[in-house]
Amino acid sequence: MRDLKHLIYFEDLLQEAHNELVRKGKEDGNLALGYTCYFMPEVLLDLPGCFSVRLRAPRCVSPDMATYYMSGRTCHYGRSLFERALEGGFNFLDAQLATETCTVTCRFQEHLKAMPDVINNVKFKVSFSDVPFKKNENSIEHYEKQLQAHVLDFLKSEYGVDTSDEAIMRAIIAHNEVCRIIREIGDFRKLDEPTITGYEFAVINLVSMCCPKYLIIDKLRETLEELKTREPDQRKTYRCKVLLAGSENDDPEFTKLIESCGALVVCDRYCYGAVEAREPIEIREGETPLRAVARHYLLTSQCTRFMEQDEMRYRKKRIAELAKEYKADGVIILSNKFCEYWSYERMIDTIVIPRDYGFPVCSIEKEYINSASGQLRTRFQAFVESIEIKKLQEGAK
Amino acid sequence: MKKPDLNKIKKLAKDFLYGKPHGERRLGDLYEPKTGLYKHREWRGVKDTFYYFNNIWLYNYGMMVADIMKYGGLITFAKGVWRYRWVGQSYLPVMHWFDRGLEGVRGEALRASAWHYRAMVNQTIDQFMRMFKADQNIGGSKDLYDRTIAHDETVWGGVFYPYRDQLDDIPLQMIPYFVTCHVNNHTVLNYIDATQALGLPGDPCPMCQAECGLMILDDEPDYYPAFITTNEACDASVATSVIQDWMINKPLYAMPQPMQFDDPLVQEHCAKEIEGAFRFIEEQMGVEFHWSELVKHLEEQNELQRFEWEKWDVAANTPYYPITGTAQALYRIYQSQRGNRKIWHDTDKRVRKILEKCVEQKIETFPMTRHRVIAWSCAPLYYSHWCTWAYNCWGLNCVINMDSLMFDMTIRTDNYDDMLLDMARYHEWAPMRRMAVGGMQHIFELWENMEKFHCDMVMMYDQLQCKGMQGVHGLFEDEFRARDIHAIWMPHSLPDKRTVSRAEIRQIINDYMFTVMQEEPLDPSLLEFDDGEGW
Repeated sequence: MRDLKHLIYFEDLLQEAHNELVRKGKEDGNLALGYTCYFMPEVLLDLPGCFSVRLRAPRCVSPDMATYYMSGRTCHYGRSLFERALEGGFNFLDAQLATETCTVTCRFQEHLKAMPDVINNVKFKVSFSDVPFKKNENSIEHYEKQLQAHVLDFLKSEYGVDTSDEAIMRAIIAHNEVCRIIREIGDFRKLDEPTITGYEFAVINLVSMCCPKYLIIDKLRETLEELKTREPDQRKTYRCKVLLAGSENDDPEFTKLIESCGALVVCDRYCYGAVEAREPIEIREGETPLRAVARHYLLTSQCTRFMEQDEMRYRKKRIAELAKEYKADGVIILSNKFCEYWSYERMIDTIVIPRDYGFPVCSIEKEYINSASGQLRTRFQAFVESIEIKKLQEGAK
Repeated sequence: MKKPDLNKIKKLAKDFLYGKPHGERRLGDLYEPKTGLYKHREWRGVKDTFYYFNNIWLYNYGMMVADIMKYGGLITFAKGVWRYRWVGQSYLPVMHWFDRGLEGVRGEALRASAWHYRAMVNQTIDQFMRMFKADQNIGGSKDLYDRTIAHDETVWGGVFYPYRDQLDDIPLQMIPYFVTCHVNNHTVLNYIDATQALGLPGDPCPMCQAECGLMILDDEPDYYPAFITTNEACDASVATSVIQDWMINKPLYAMPQPMQFDDPLVQEHCAKEIEGAFRFIEEQMGVEFHWSELVKHLEEQNELQRFEWEKWDVAANTPYYPITGTAQALYRIYQSQRGNRKIWHDTDKRVRKILEKCVEQKIETFPMTRHRVIAWSCAPLYYSHWCTWAYNCWGLNCVINMDSLMFDMTIRTDNYDDMLLDMARYHEWAPMRRMAVGGMQHIFELWENMEKFHCDMVMMYDQLQCKGMQGVHGLFEDEFRARDIHAIWMPHSLPDKRTVSRAEIRQIINDYMFTVMQEEPLDPSLLEFDDGEGW
């Protein structure tokens, strides 16, 4: 396939959290607001005068200082973020909008609060929101109150941000436009012969989370237009299609590794993926914009921390539905080492999804930065071969 | 003929009458190598030895039989023993569990601590006999099955108070997992392995792994038509719910508690979830909400809490507190988690008498105390009796521990709304959770509790798979240094003795006491011994 015009530019933006566009956004007088979790609605951090930055710690291979504080037995992602903060890589942040949604990212954010010198920015503050574990009416109400108090009121009182309904509406409209573009880009993965690779999509989706949206949207639009006329390779460059599901993953190189083994990643149902994050926010009749945001983020999330019986069961079905929708031949379930939520979910998915939905599953435990690529490559190659054999056997019947 | 040494005879007679003084006991010499079993029982002096034999050993063996008869009979018990591996494995070693926890203890401390043990045994038998009587796997009563609801062990028993006159609530894992691994630390290993055999990595909390293993191996009695789970205490507990649901496949109600519990905004949400649990119980079990029943139990529970405060007061401010660190920790967590039961009141009544006697007569219950220790974070279940060893060997007196300080409140009963809000708060302050979530300020309440209980050392439990505690390790190190506090990090793996053995834990404490504190042991025979194969 023809190279995408802006891909190298997008890749460059992902080399650092404090990238060119984040610097430009700050120079424009905006506040840079950090977050780590889907449950902190990025749309509220993209209010006028602010932009959201979903935190990453690219190229952090050895979080030694953070390991002193958080030990070597906690999730590498949380530690890498703290390492980057200790190195000064997040000094551009004006505030961290935190959630206590998984233990180690919570501890990372608590360290930022407990050690105010870490972020060298006098404006910097941390605000925590409580996020419910269910999707019922009580939870939506609770979540809405939390967002009002710990996001909107916090931004208004500490930074003078306009948090009116009109401002939120404007942010939703802008957010939905980004979602529309990314979803349209993502839809090319549903084609019989996809015209975008999983790696390219991961890069494009990530830049939309890590850069001020108003500065990246033109290039996203241009990329979408480019894709409309992009032709697939004449000779197939992949041997099967897979859905990638699991825990936190903001490393496009991991997707690249999978694709280098012959499996095209056509769907990304993981934290930092696009499946839920790029669904547009709909405002229902009689709803305030904030209520719509609260409902949207709670109901669309497929996080493994939801505990209602039907939700726990539906998550598996959802993966199977997506695999069908994106015409995947198999599913790769990943969990970061020391991620307790996904350790369990991965174990169950690995049994339930092949048994109840007929999709083969490759179950992977990985580090935040992919240091065991040789071992993983062998696993993926074997998985691709097993899918091929399955197809051959089905053909023989 | 050589003249008899009168001093020696006097000394022998005195040792016979009162037991050897602390420095001369050589308790380590009593052990059979590896097993932790005794070659012979400890001579505690005439009075205490006979008290131990009659009022503790014999009495409790008798009561263990009497309780079985009272709560369902021998046939039901035998069926349970035959069907579930954890019963037989942990029933016989019960008295050895007493021995370990009460080793070297004398006088009023022996008496008060033993009553705590007795209460826990009674409640354990009560619970597993109810499980067996209603258990459909072994032909239990369908009527009882329909009148028994299950819940995760981290759900506070008080949620079921409004229905206690119509049904009984039995936690799923309290007996098969939590209690058994205190009594016999081999029992849970099988369950942990079963979970990992399904593909779970070894690093999530081993408590949750063991709880899952019980279900994977079908070693849970089938005694309930519905159950309630919660998110306490951590990510792994939440994740375990998925396994519970998968394996149990019965109606489930999730009653999560908010994480940021200091925030006044979260209380209403939490209260509504408790009301949701009420509705679930009523729908599933066909029972009615009885306000008077709820009030009765809450008020009785408040009484228990008020006495706990009195106990803390004595523990904090005097050397007369007659309860060992082990008994304090286990009884408190068991009692508060299980909720109001008659046996706790009976026990507290007895303990109050002893406590008052100690204070009035100024009886120093742990006279060889060199350091007053506070134990922080979550404890090794397979070595909860480290406190007894540490006192006997080094004079480290564990006065209080973090788990004891949870649930630190009474509940208003004068109106429904306040009561519900207090119940919400109570549940938010559950063990392993009160200090662990909702911000680091909670875990650093250590400093004020050290001051309150006049402690000069910290036994810092280092649960290697607890992400919450591991995630705050460095700040503790910084604070210990800044505050010039002696803290011993005790690595462990909650129920899994294979990661850090009891002997390794002792070695870490020994090393610290020798090299940092520059102290000599009170009883050198306890420095090194192998109890790796012991219960």
